[in-house]
Amino acid sequence: MNIKITDKALRYFLETPLTPEELAHDISLCGPTFDRVSKVDGDYLYEIEVITNRIDTASAQGIARDSAAILNQMGIKSKLLHDPYLEKINLYPNLPKTFHFEILDNSLVPRFTAVSLENVSIQDSPKDTQSLLSLSGERPINNAVDITNELTLLYGLPGHIFDLDKLAAQKLTIRESKNGEEVVTLDNQNNKLKGGDLVIEDGAGRLVDLCGVMGGSVAEVDQHTKNILLIFPVYQPSKIRRTSLYLQKRTLASQIYEKQPDTELCLPVLMNAIKLFGERTGSRVSSAVYDSNPLPSKAKEILLDINWANNLIGVQISSKTAVSILESLGFSVKNKGQNQIICTVPSWRRYDIDIKEDLVEEIARVYGYSKLPPTLPCVNLPPETKNKLLDTESKIKNLLSSQGFNEVYNNSLISLDLIEKTLLKEASHLKLNNALSKDYEYLRTTLVPSMLQNIKNNQGKTEEPFNLYELSNVYLSVGEKLPQENSMLVIGTTASFRLAKGHLALLFEHLNLKEYKFKSSTSCPIYFVAENTAMINSNSSTIGFIGSIKPAILHKLGITSDPIVVEIDTQKLADSILENYIYKPISDFPDVVEQITINTNERVGDIIEKIRSVDKLIKDVSYLDSFEKNHSFKITFSSPDKNLTQSEVNDVKKTVKTLFN
Amino acid sequence: MLSLSTMAINYKETIEEIKKRFSKDLSGVNTVKDLELLEVKYLGRQGEINLLFKTLPLKDDPRIGKAINDLKNSSQQQLSDKLSVLLNQAPKDTFDVTIPGTPLPKGTRHLITQAIEEIEDIFTRLGFVRRRYPEVETDWYYAEGLNIPKDHPARDDQETFYVANDVVLTAHTSNGQLREMERVKTPPIKMINIGKTYRRQADTSHSTMFHQFEGLLIDKNINITHLVGVMDYFAKSFFGNDRNIRLRPHHFQFTEPSFEIDINCGLCHGTGEIKNSPCKFCKSGWLELGGSGMVHPNVLKNGGIDPEIYSGFAFGWGVERVLMMKSGLNLPDLRLLYTDDLRFLKQF
Repeated sequence: MNIKITDKALRYFLETPLTPEELAHDISLCGPTFDRVSKVDGDYLYEIEVITNRIDTASAQGIARDSAAILNQMGIKSKLLHDPYLEKINLYPNLPKTFHFEILDNSLVPRFTAVSLENVSIQDSPKDTQSLLSLSGERPINNAVDITNELTLLYGLPGHIFDLDKLAAQKLTIRESKNGEEVVTLDNQNNKLKGGDLVIEDGAGRLVDLCGVMGGSVAEVDQHTKNILLIFPVYQPSKIRRTSLYLQKRTLASQIYEKQPDTELCLPVLMNAIKLFGERTGSRVSSAVYDSNPLPSKAKEILLDINWANNLIGVQISSKTAVSILESLGFSVKNKGQNQIICTVPSWRRYDIDIKEDLVEEIARVYGYSKLPPTLPCVNLPPETKNKLLDTESKIKNLLSSQGFNEVYNNSLISLDLIEKTLLKEASHLKLNNALSKDYEYLRTTLVPSMLQNIKNNQGKTEEPFNLYELSNVYLSVGEKLPQENSMLVIGTTASFRLAKGHLALLFEHLNLKEYKFKSSTSCPIYFVAENTAMINSNSSTIGFIGSIKPAILHKLGITSDPIVVEIDTQKLADSILENYIYKPISDFPDVVEQITINTNERVGDIIEKIRSVDKLIKDVSYLDSFEKNHSFKITFSSPDKNLTQSEVNDVKKTVKTLFN
Repeated sequence: MLSLSTMAINYKETIEEIKKRFSKDLSGVNTVKDLELLEVKYLGRQGEINLLFKTLPLKDDPRIGKAINDLKNSSQQQLSDKLSVLLNQAPKDTFDVTIPGTPLPKGTRHLITQAIEEIEDIFTRLGFVRRRYPEVETDWYYAEGLNIPKDHPARDDQETFYVANDVVLTAHTSNGQLREMERVKTPPIKMINIGKTYRRQADTSHSTMFHQFEGLLIDKNINITHLVGVMDYFAKSFFGNDRNIRLRPHHFQFTEPSFEIDINCGLCHGTGEIKNSPCKFCKSGWLELGGSGMVHPNVLKNGGIDPEIYSGFAFGWGVERVLMMKSGLNLPDLRLLYTDDLRFLKQF
């Protein structure tokens, strides 16, 4: 939450020798952050970020209180002025009752104060007030309404005024709304309520206030108003938040009420309001002050061990300094001996100070975070084994990029359209309950659809062939509460199948994956053309697939090339990789390399397998090329213990030939 | 005596003849390879000069041996002179050194990958161990166990994607905190969890999917100065040694105290001004890096760790955010990181 306050408003509560810029700089390091200071006509304007749990600082007096504590600790003599908690309270007990409130559920209205005023004369506010409001982002309306708005800025407690003569004030009921009830608010909007909103109903059965969010137009104060009902309430915060969110009325009042301002502020602010109404509208108090305080809470006490606090902060702050910091922030502190103190939490900090760690924060920030020296911790960690998956992922990225592949990051969320176009089943995907758009609605179960989109998107923009890859988790629904998150690798290339396979083989070599085979797939994911897809097996488990994509899918996606796609389960790949290299002795005797051409209907991979298994002397078989049914290979013969003779080599070659006759 | 004298004359002729032939052959040599052949022909083990030691009657006249040795030495000298001439002559085959090399495709690791590895590397140097925890998570690990009760306002800010009533796409990596505490059981803990996160929000500075890195350190006697030390080390390593951080008070449910960590702006060097006008990159000289804080005792308890014995700190920052903040990159829109356009991807 951000607020704007003027320098004049702040200095009504704070006496300090600092310039506005110095003030903003010094306070930001220890308290609320001053985002900006700007010079405006005859004044300065501060834009301040209020920390969510410090609603007590959403006002000039709150900022002033924190500032005085911080500046004094820095050695800059400063003083809090006009402290509302020292205000003299007059409940006008001898005046009559002019209205009657009934609160149906006390837990929803922790505090409610009200008073009526007579002889009000409505006109414009004085220049200073108008200027304060305009600068702070509020529109000046008239001298009465402006008072409550000004007090909100000064004290951080919103109030509201009704034209008393427009109300059936003999019975004002504060209750929860019913579903379907309507209330017209001061912005002239008719609001249909969902029920459970806090509202005030008057004796004529009309809703006159949408509590904590905006007043009702029924009893709007206008230039003819003579009698006013003035209220300063505090409501249950979650009620106000809910109403203001669903009605999209994020008023300053609702933003303060939803964070629970101090109930102890109600009467002091009411006293100030009465004073200002007298000065600016000529009014007089016409009723006794109504004050409902059904559940007065006892002040919280927290025990703090100063040594423990210093251990958590990491520097030695003397007990004296710690106590003076806490006291300057409004805590009352009692010594309990042995460096232990009992701190009583001031009413305005009741909701953000709960535990001793909260006190540590107060001491440390006012002492000054900038005085804490950076220290590297020494931690005796037990030894850690390598994380194979993370290690493999990182290696894959390095290797593929050095082989000319470009990494892409796709969103894990995809559209139903893409699921259907790639022939996947909607039902197997986890769907968002609250998607932002149809494009990002389902969690991916495979990386292939996004990769196909990447290929399509680059088509015609980048010279082909191009090579893309992505490494990411997919989310598989496995019938348990949480999906299984599998790390996957996908490669998409517009180069040839052989080139793609060559790259993959090189990747495997570098990763030290020794045992792997490309096999005709008997079953493969639905988007692959089964006949043109190989499954990649390692140690008898399938780690992935390489192949081409069904023409129907390519057509629907508008892909004009016939890309090769590789899909690999990174965890399975990582599990198959050998941890260490194994040394193979190098033969002292020279290899003999021979070419051979074989005429057969069999497939090249099968031929190679067959040749390899013919004889121990065959060390390696590599494929050269094919012409129709003729396939040429280069065979490397080698023996670990002798020089091979030509006739030995020829014998083996002959055996090879006979296999394919 | 006569025969001896004839022999003496003959050996001179023989040597003279070989010497002449060698000179002639040598003058015809133009390559190092031919020179090596010539050396074998005359000076090899079976070469003409060595053969003279066998064919001429060395014993008859001591001058014969001396003459052969002279021939051998002078031939060797000439060969080595010639070799140095050959090795120093201008190349016959010259090529155009300005011709472009054969183009090879440039592969890349994505900017986000590079940032993640750099971040991981920095924290590894400090002894943090990389972990990976779920990106789709139950409400307990994601919120309730992190001290964010069911009715807390942080819940209804509509920034979280749900796949079931109490299963979310994580909008932060802090779920890793409880998971790591449960895994380790007894501190010390020193981990960095880097993963994908999702937020129900999309504009120039937000993508629905992004990445976070979550640090968690728990041990006995861990204090705020340690948090400052680690944050300062990271900021200087990642952004440059001349950068500084500062802590500002903040509030998060799962840390107490909580801090916002700022780094001084690299553009205006922390002054907030460039040539007398306000710096457009920062708020008065400082940029928000991200949040951090001392782990809330309730969170420690929820992770099964006794807050009376152990303390720790945690931080969870955006990978894209620190990447975009690194000066010089100049991306106008964070969502560019998620384009698949190769003309973008190939730049890095």
